[in-house]
Amino acid sequence: MIRKSRSRRFLDAVNVPLVLWSLALIGYGTIMVASATSGMSGGSGMLLRHAVGIGVGLVPLALAWAFDYTRLRGWQGPLIALAAFLLISPRIPGLGYEAGGATSWLSVFGVRLFQPSEPAKLIFIVVVASVISSFKGRIDEPRDALKVMAYLSGAVGLILLQPDLGTGLVFVAITFIMLIAGGMKGRYFLVMLLVAAVGLVGIVAVDSSLDKLFDRDVALKEYQLNRLLVFIDPARDPDDAGYNLAQSKIAIGSGGLAGKGLGSGTQSNLHFIPERHTDFIFSVLGEELGFLGAVTLLGLYLALLITALAIATSSRDLYGALIAAGVLGMWLFQILENIGMTVGMMPITGIPLPFMSFGSSAMVTNLGAIGLLLSVWSRRYGT
Amino acid sequence: MATYRQELKSRFATLGIIVVVVLTALLVRLWTMQVLNGESFAAQAENNRVREISIDAPRGEIYDRNGVALVTNRSALAVCVDPSDDDVRDMIIRAQDSDSANDPTRHETEELFGEFASMVGVTPSDVLTAISDVSQEALRPRVVAIDVPGDVVAQLLERQTDFPWVVVEETSVREYPYGSLGAHVIGYTGAISEAEYEQSDEYAGYELGDIVGKTGAERQFEGVLQGDKGWRRIEVNASGKSQGVVSEQEPRAGNDIQLTLDIEAQRVAEEQLADAIAEARRQGYASAKAGAAVVVDITTGEVIAMASAPSYDPSAFLGGISTAEWASLTAKESEYPLNNRAIMAAYPPASTFKVVTAIAGLEAGITTENTTYTCTGRWTDMGTQWPKWCWKRAGGHGTLSLRSGMKNSCDTVFYEIGYEFYKRKLEELQAQSRAFGLGSETGIDLPGEVDGRVPDAAWKKAFNENYPEYQMWLPGDTVNMAIGQGDMLATPLQMACLYAGIANDGTVMKPYVLKSVLDSEGQPTRTTQPSVLHDTTVSDASLAVITRALIDVTEEGTGAGAFAGFRVNVAGKTGTAEVKGKDDYAWFCAYAPANEPRYAVAVIVEQGGHGGSVTGPAARNILAQLLGEPLKTIRTTDQSR
Repeated sequence: MIRKSRSRRFLDAVNVPLVLWSLALIGYGTIMVASATSGMSGGSGMLLRHAVGIGVGLVPLALAWAFDYTRLRGWQGPLIALAAFLLISPRIPGLGYEAGGATSWLSVFGVRLFQPSEPAKLIFIVVVASVISSFKGRIDEPRDALKVMAYLSGAVGLILLQPDLGTGLVFVAITFIMLIAGGMKGRYFLVMLLVAAVGLVGIVAVDSSLDKLFDRDVALKEYQLNRLLVFIDPARDPDDAGYNLAQSKIAIGSGGLAGKGLGSGTQSNLHFIPERHTDFIFSVLGEELGFLGAVTLLGLYLALLITALAIATSSRDLYGALIAAGVLGMWLFQILENIGMTVGMMPITGIPLPFMSFGSSAMVTNLGAIGLLLSVWSRRYGT
Repeated sequence: MATYRQELKSRFATLGIIVVVVLTALLVRLWTMQVLNGESFAAQAENNRVREISIDAPRGEIYDRNGVALVTNRSALAVCVDPSDDDVRDMIIRAQDSDSANDPTRHETEELFGEFASMVGVTPSDVLTAISDVSQEALRPRVVAIDVPGDVVAQLLERQTDFPWVVVEETSVREYPYGSLGAHVIGYTGAISEAEYEQSDEYAGYELGDIVGKTGAERQFEGVLQGDKGWRRIEVNASGKSQGVVSEQEPRAGNDIQLTLDIEAQRVAEEQLADAIAEARRQGYASAKAGAAVVVDITTGEVIAMASAPSYDPSAFLGGISTAEWASLTAKESEYPLNNRAIMAAYPPASTFKVVTAIAGLEAGITTENTTYTCTGRWTDMGTQWPKWCWKRAGGHGTLSLRSGMKNSCDTVFYEIGYEFYKRKLEELQAQSRAFGLGSETGIDLPGEVDGRVPDAAWKKAFNENYPEYQMWLPGDTVNMAIGQGDMLATPLQMACLYAGIANDGTVMKPYVLKSVLDSEGQPTRTTQPSVLHDTTVSDASLAVITRALIDVTEEGTGAGAFAGFRVNVAGKTGTAEVKGKDDYAWFCAYAPANEPRYAVAVIVEQGGHGGSVTGPAARNILAQLLGEPLKTIRTTDQSR
């Protein structure tokens, strides 16, 4: 056995670019959260909470990194059970906490803890990676595809109970990216896209007719439907969803090339933008730092995603590659959806922008995802 | 393993492409928004955060012909409610909500505004009404009370924590140094109505809630008196709450105007009108409550005084008039004090019209100064079945000339002339009436003028469209018209202009009240030039006959009692109009000095009895004021018509 040099061993264990890009993003995000919350009551307290989220996130990062991901395959049953519990938990009396019309938070004795659907994403990635990797890189039998769809449907079904449409879409995106990496045939893919599209329209149609039948919101709430429809027709609900979109676009657009300067965003600081430190943090960034600030962010994301892709490619087995692809899918979709909604390209759904949005659950989850990538990276040569 | 590793590479290349495509799409979108359209978004952002509130401009002031201030402005403290306060906003939103079930309850209103309302002297529901006025600009503080006592304002400001939504603003309101004097000419102001707003020129920049002239000169010269608004740009947050003033532009006050009124003559005219009404009642005419008096300058047409009774106090309209006050000002029982009877009411002119009949007769050659007539008190030329009576029924006036017929206001003389006109079928009496401006508006620069009526065959046919049996013009129609009765109607201003026209060698000047518009230094920038309204072709000889006859009236005739001892020659005529179902209306029209005429005056008291004893003395004292003669209380009698 060849003894590796110290630095060599370090590079085996640590993917330096991944750490650098994520540190840069976390730093950038912290600056933006600081700017966005500066004018808010209890702003400094929120910055502290943001820092605490980062600190807490180091725990799952370290655990996932230290843990050999290949051993997770043996834990399939308990993991599925845990994920199911996490997704159902907000609906369990005494554990749920309602905020913004959805019961997607877990609380104990009334203390809001975290959004269980966030860590559930990682468990879902690990579980589905195991399922897809069992097809040995080829998904050419309908049965295999249906099996994956069954997992996805289960997860999405539980999420829609909360209901949290945005997170549901993240699960769909994760699955699709992993299917591409896992070798799904092109025509299957087209069929699935079609089924998904029909399914989405079907859900909306069935949901609204159920709502009419029972005269109440059965699954999706009316405001969620409005958010989806306002994307097609911004005049539909100008006071609420349309208003947010219009204000966000004005903020970003008025940022121009170089922005108005940190803390000088008139739109965001004058409270035109709701949720400006969480879901709409990009509006603050776009307004205050302009196109240059936005390009910097997109550049960092590109670097992060390409690094994740490189880690996937370097994996010693398909399982690890699929985990990395799942993480990439999660980030990519959240970036697309979050930034896309603030500029009017995507429907408005509450999804945090990775590493940028204020919110501990998401930060902890994203750091856990880094841990998973590092675990795949550090074990790329096998043992 | 090796095979799918190869395949993996191409799949990961696909993923890489997806990543690049997604990020590029976002990049392109951001480039479009921030770099290509950044400026337009920046403009939107500016609008979004800055709201403009207009600041009212002080209205121009109004002066009389000698520069005496009739209407000025004073600053007053207005206690307002700030609509951007959260509690107030909640109430406004709920009050304006179409769902009445969500309306603020009496209890809630009382709880929020109760103490405040009682401090400023209104009711909580008044406050709710004021704040939920949808016509007001969203951020404009809602005025709840004006002229709140200083100690109350001080208390309110001290207790800002209890009433965080109270805003005290300095505002400018109309002040009337002479109270109700000249109210009908000056007019009053009030908040622009929705109809007025719809009709207003968009460049005038009116907004709902603005104060505009409603009647009189205030309305007529609104465009001059209304200044240019200022504005205040206020930074607001997403919920519309003010964050501070960004910039402001001071308003520019409206132009001042100078009226042709002489406030002292106006005062006398109003007092004399009131005295005439009181005198009529003393004489037993209990229904005498209303009337008008108007004085014009014969050579220019300037209105020196214009009085209408009953009158009103224009300051009642400041800060909004209460429903009860408005109801009383527009009620029949109160005789419609807002109406300017000098131009808005038309009456049968009665014997004061005989001057027109005489002029027309002289011009037509059917009478001369010394043509003799015989009055027996009963006139039957149209047939014994259609007898007409002179006001002096018992014995009549005997034999008399046109001139003495005028002096004694003998009806028989004018029946005769009228009947001649009827027989000629040329409607010359109507033509002469119109030549002096009767039957059409004088075009005075005041709103609301009516045109009166000169009846003729065509009018009668049209008027009785649905009653064929009444359509024919009969001899009695012309005969009645000859004594100013029947369907003849004229406004007091028209009568003053008629007498002014006779005095002015047959030229009627157009009456007006705006002498000039003043600039900010008080210098006239625009002065009304006198203009001819009607130029008659009446011969000087005919006018001389009339003047002599009218002087006879005040020296020896029906007006002699009123003008006894008056040192200036006055050419005047009494009138007693019969109005069906009412007491007689007392008229007096005159011009003076008769030999060198300067002023023409017309006075009427509705249901006041006889001109010689009621309106004659009023006209005498008005002329006395203008001509430097002493004013006198006169008690006299007159039985003429």
